[in-house]
Amino acid sequence: MTATAIKRPGTPGGGARERRLRAISPLQVLRKTLTALGTLAFVVVVNFFLFRVIPGSPEKAFAPRGRNADAERLAQIRRDLGLGLPWHEQFWSYLKSLVRGNLGDSWGQHRPVVSVIADYVWPTVLLSGTALVLAAGIGMWLGARSGWRHGTRFDKLASSSAVTLYSVPEWLLGLVLMVALSGSGLFPVDGGMVDPRSTLPAAIDVAWHMVLPCFCLAVVYIAEYSLIMRSSMLDERYADYLTTARAKGLRDDTVMRRHALPNALLPFTTLFFLSIGFVVSGAITVETVFSWPGLGRLTYDALRGPDIPLLQGLFLVFSAAVIVMNLFADLLYPFIDPRVRRS
Amino acid sequence: MSRTPVTDGAGLTDQSASRRESRVPSLRRRLAAAAALLVAALTALAIPAPAAAEDATPSAPTKVTFVLGIKQDIDSLNPYVGVVASAYEAYQLMYDYLINSSDKDFSPVPGLAERWETSTDGKTWTYHIRKGVKWSDGKDLTAKDVAYSFQRSIDGETENGQYGNYVSLITKVSATDDYTVVIETSAPSPSMLRLLVPILPEHTWKDIDAKEVSTFTNDTNPVGSGPFKLVEAKANQFYRFEANKGYWGGAPKIDELVIRVYADDEGLGQALRNGSVDMIQDVSAAVWESLRNVPGITTSDSKYPGFNELAYNLGAQTVENKPIGNGHPALKDKRVRLAIDTAIDRKTLVDKVLRNHGTAATGVIPPLYPNWHWTPGDAARTFDLAKANQMLEDAGYKKSADGIRVGPDGKKLEFRLFGREESEFSKDNVAYIADWLSQIGMKATVSIMSEDKLTAVIGQGEYDMFEWGWVVEPDPDFQLSVFTCDQRSYVDAGEIAAGWSDSFYCDASYDALYQQQKTLLDPAQRTAVIKQAQQKLYDDAVYSMLYYYNNFEAYRSDKFTGFTPQPSDGGSLVFQYGTYTYLNLAPVSKTTDTGSSNTLWLVLGIGAGVVVLAGIVGGVFLMRRRSTADERE
Amino acid sequence: MSETLTPRGIVRARRRAALAAFWRTFRRDREGMTGLVLLALFAFVALAAPLLADESGLSLTRATGPVLAEPSFEYPFGTDKYGRSVLTLVIWGSRISLLVGLAATLISMVIGTVVGIASGHFRGVAGGALNRLTEWFLVIPFLPLAIVLATVFPPDVPKIVAVIIVIGVTSWSGTARLVRAQVFSIEERPYLERARALGAGHWQQMSRHVLPNVMPLVLANTTLTVSIAILAETTLSFLGLGDPLRISWGRILDNAYSGAVISTGSWWWVFFPGASVVLVVLGFNLCGRAIERILDPRIKSRV
Repeated sequence: MTATAIKRPGTPGGGARERRLRAISPLQVLRKTLTALGTLAFVVVVNFFLFRVIPGSPEKAFAPRGRNADAERLAQIRRDLGLGLPWHEQFWSYLKSLVRGNLGDSWGQHRPVVSVIADYVWPTVLLSGTALVLAAGIGMWLGARSGWRHGTRFDKLASSSAVTLYSVPEWLLGLVLMVALSGSGLFPVDGGMVDPRSTLPAAIDVAWHMVLPCFCLAVVYIAEYSLIMRSSMLDERYADYLTTARAKGLRDDTVMRRHALPNALLPFTTLFFLSIGFVVSGAITVETVFSWPGLGRLTYDALRGPDIPLLQGLFLVFSAAVIVMNLFADLLYPFIDPRVRRS
Repeated sequence: MSRTPVTDGAGLTDQSASRRESRVPSLRRRLAAAAALLVAALTALAIPAPAAAEDATPSAPTKVTFVLGIKQDIDSLNPYVGVVASAYEAYQLMYDYLINSSDKDFSPVPGLAERWETSTDGKTWTYHIRKGVKWSDGKDLTAKDVAYSFQRSIDGETENGQYGNYVSLITKVSATDDYTVVIETSAPSPSMLRLLVPILPEHTWKDIDAKEVSTFTNDTNPVGSGPFKLVEAKANQFYRFEANKGYWGGAPKIDELVIRVYADDEGLGQALRNGSVDMIQDVSAAVWESLRNVPGITTSDSKYPGFNELAYNLGAQTVENKPIGNGHPALKDKRVRLAIDTAIDRKTLVDKVLRNHGTAATGVIPPLYPNWHWTPGDAARTFDLAKANQMLEDAGYKKSADGIRVGPDGKKLEFRLFGREESEFSKDNVAYIADWLSQIGMKATVSIMSEDKLTAVIGQGEYDMFEWGWVVEPDPDFQLSVFTCDQRSYVDAGEIAAGWSDSFYCDASYDALYQQQKTLLDPAQRTAVIKQAQQKLYDDAVYSMLYYYNNFEAYRSDKFTGFTPQPSDGGSLVFQYGTYTYLNLAPVSKTTDTGSSNTLWLVLGIGAGVVVLAGIVGGVFLMRRRSTADERE
Repeated sequence: MSETLTPRGIVRARRRAALAAFWRTFRRDREGMTGLVLLALFAFVALAAPLLADESGLSLTRATGPVLAEPSFEYPFGTDKYGRSVLTLVIWGSRISLLVGLAATLISMVIGTVVGIASGHFRGVAGGALNRLTEWFLVIPFLPLAIVLATVFPPDVPKIVAVIIVIGVTSWSGTARLVRAQVFSIEERPYLERARALGAGHWQQMSRHVLPNVMPLVLANTTLTVSIAILAETTLSFLGLGDPLRISWGRILDNAYSGAVISTGSWWWVFFPGASVVLVVLGFNLCGRAIERILDPRIKSRV
């Protein structure tokens, strides 16, 4: 659930203001990259041990209840999975294969984790990415407008609906939409990404199936973005340089677009990059409710197994995405902050 | 409640449907407007030019495609590694077996082997392979392929893990000529009539070595000889199979079979309703009931080879008789188990939990297999709380001050009762059972956990009772083996690893019965022993059998006909031991273009989207004009 | 009053005055008051549940109503597939949902504050390690982590306790980071340097000087964390990972989804518990935003 992940208090925007006036040197780039790598290494280690604590009989994933595999076979599987080995040997072999880009074989799908993740990543990027882009546009517009026209009816309506939508879990929205649209034939409420029997061109079919899940995700993002945008717009609104700009006789709209907006965009941009990082972890609940074949649903299925190598791989990909996007936002910061650029 | 729950549900569905119509429009309009906007935006974003052009010419003669909706994705198309039921369904479609199970009653019927003979000592089997069978790449299927497939299942570690139980008695496999296979076994075994080992083409599989086979996906143009051929596989989305029009068992009447994966029951139900699938199976009772009165849909409540039980910890031990776990000692006392068994009202469970879609259970082999099924008849234990209380009194379990009975050893009859997260039925069952136990002076503390966790807990012997079930194969051997001493947990590298036993039952006379049925070739003799074994389990109350449940299937009878149950008397229509339904399916009349309604809506949607978009842009423009006017004032 | 003459008394009086001033401002905040009214309403429902609805109405085995009846005079919120009144479920569900939300928030706040202060106060290896830990929790997606952690509890731990701990343990990282940043700025202040010079130990510095100064921030953060915790509980329950033996709003929604609410069109089964979740979360969000507005002087001057 992306939204909840971002909704952690204090995450968005927080540190942005302090960093503003720092220009960036190659040394800093190196330092930041190294820090990010350090975090990634920490993630690798912690993830390994995190999954050792899950109880279970993984051999049963290869021979589930009711299928006849004798005790000897179960013992064999345990040996193959390296389950009898002491943890440091398991850890060592995990590290060794990781270095070679091998995340092991999925227990649930009987093929390399890397190829499983590769199969599921695009639907998620498509769904969450589209939702994110749509939401960024709409949210920015709504937020900037209601911040600028603070106290108007537009502001009141927009910000109160944003707060309300921010309080709706996206899967609940999905559920309500499905109940409401069931039987209407308007959109495919049965979910999925394509209809294998469809006569429509593939792209349209996908877009068609994407409408509802994308809507659910986008609404939550829009709420979040517009709230952030509104508050940073409020911050800028009464700044001195704007008074100067107005005094020069510039039109109100121009003042907003040319002067206030670029500055107010900073926290928004940070949040946007953070959300991109969380895009790959997808929307477990929305993907499940809408049978969307993405990483979120894959994670949910893997948790049910539990398919430990797959989970390990997924967690690594998820955290790496967030770390990389954070780093990216950090490095990009000087280029988008007009004050830093000027100095 | 005067009416039965089922009628209630169905009746209300209709009412609520009409009620829904009245409330939805305004909401729908708003949603449609918002969504249409999105569609318009998305389509603009998402359509690359070539994709739009690609579909310009729809294929002239309409292909007949049958779509089956499933919940559990096929875990692998490689028949040596996949373990879930849907994977086995795919293997049946793609490959052939030596001997099939009849649609009538599961009795052995010719598959790739036209006929077969047994030597007088029952140890040598000769199978005569059908002539003229071709692989999907045009090569001939011969006895060599058969011998290869068996040899591979014997030699390969991964392969043996999958089919080892079918080949464990085989000492030698040889193709004596192109159409004869001779198999020698170490002992006579009835399992030689049910060799569910798929026959694979040697010429493509010989390139898949022992190392590669465990992760080989087999999803691009696999060569097979079955009634269908895999042409497209999209994990967690759909699998497209093309009919093998030259199939030796007769050409399928449909051109294409698609197995489509959904995340849950609601998705399946909606898909059948709106026609994106033609059949769904293993769907929840709630969704199934909601489909009962939908025009064009036939619901079928078929017998299923599964049962649910309340299992006890009979004193967990490893195969070396070393005690493990922490089961409640009172459950080793048969009298306590019999009392609990007497306090379970199976009729209520069937009525309320299953809503009548099942029957009270007795023997561990379900009545779906009438040849093997055993039932106590008049000797069946019946629900009687007073009697259960009396049984416990007589056994010396007296009530203490707080109403909970105390055993002769001074230990209170307080039990842990585990149910499964994955199953609503399980949660309901344990709720009822806990309630009944409280009425015979016991206390059950209910915990609900995932099946995986429960598996681990059972293997360690750290439980008192739990609710779970089994699905039984046509050959009862495996199900009976679950209760043998050998299936108890064992120690592997210092850790306790689980076998299949989930009761830790270990009884020499039962083990003897089990071993005996394994070698009897005469069906009548074997049946007698199998029934004896079931009676032993019943008398010892190893499990409290709860019910045999039905399987919920539903299909578009307005579009397809030819659904064939196995067994003929109310069996399942798909996920059979065979592909009878898929072979017999035929379109009802001329298939209508299923895409047209979607296309219509799409056109309308995009139209609406454009209108709304225009409206919004206009509105924004106006608002902006107005507000700038405000500012100027 | 003699009390006011002691230094401690002065501090207390100052705090009381600040609180009163805070309340005066809060009362004028329309959004904040709306949120407060919502919360008061649900708090009342949760506390008075035994007076409002009979607990036996939650029992599966003893349900008496018609199956899936739509809202009527007798069943204002309709009934579920077992014949239980959805109103009763929603009323009793509020207890578990709020309990889990509040308890998890408490855990989250304690961990977040302690880790935040410690990682801000201790420079060097210890602080670095804590900071790494915080970052790990920030980059791991919440829901999968919560699901993984939920599986490690032994079966005899009541599921509800497990859920509370899981949510608490997975949601503190934001608070910790916020507190840490605040601690950095506090540690620069002269009185802390003075305390250090006077030989105050780490414990004294942190508990007597740093903690009181980060508390307002932590408290403002609390209301927002509660709303997240409640959403998390609902989501976990909806995925079937809540406590199956206790009714919460999420559990009602889970029941509804697996009970074919879409196919049967029994909208009331989703609408009422769903609306309750949204309203409570909205209540906390509105209050939280109001508190933020009041505590943040930059905005305060122009509202």
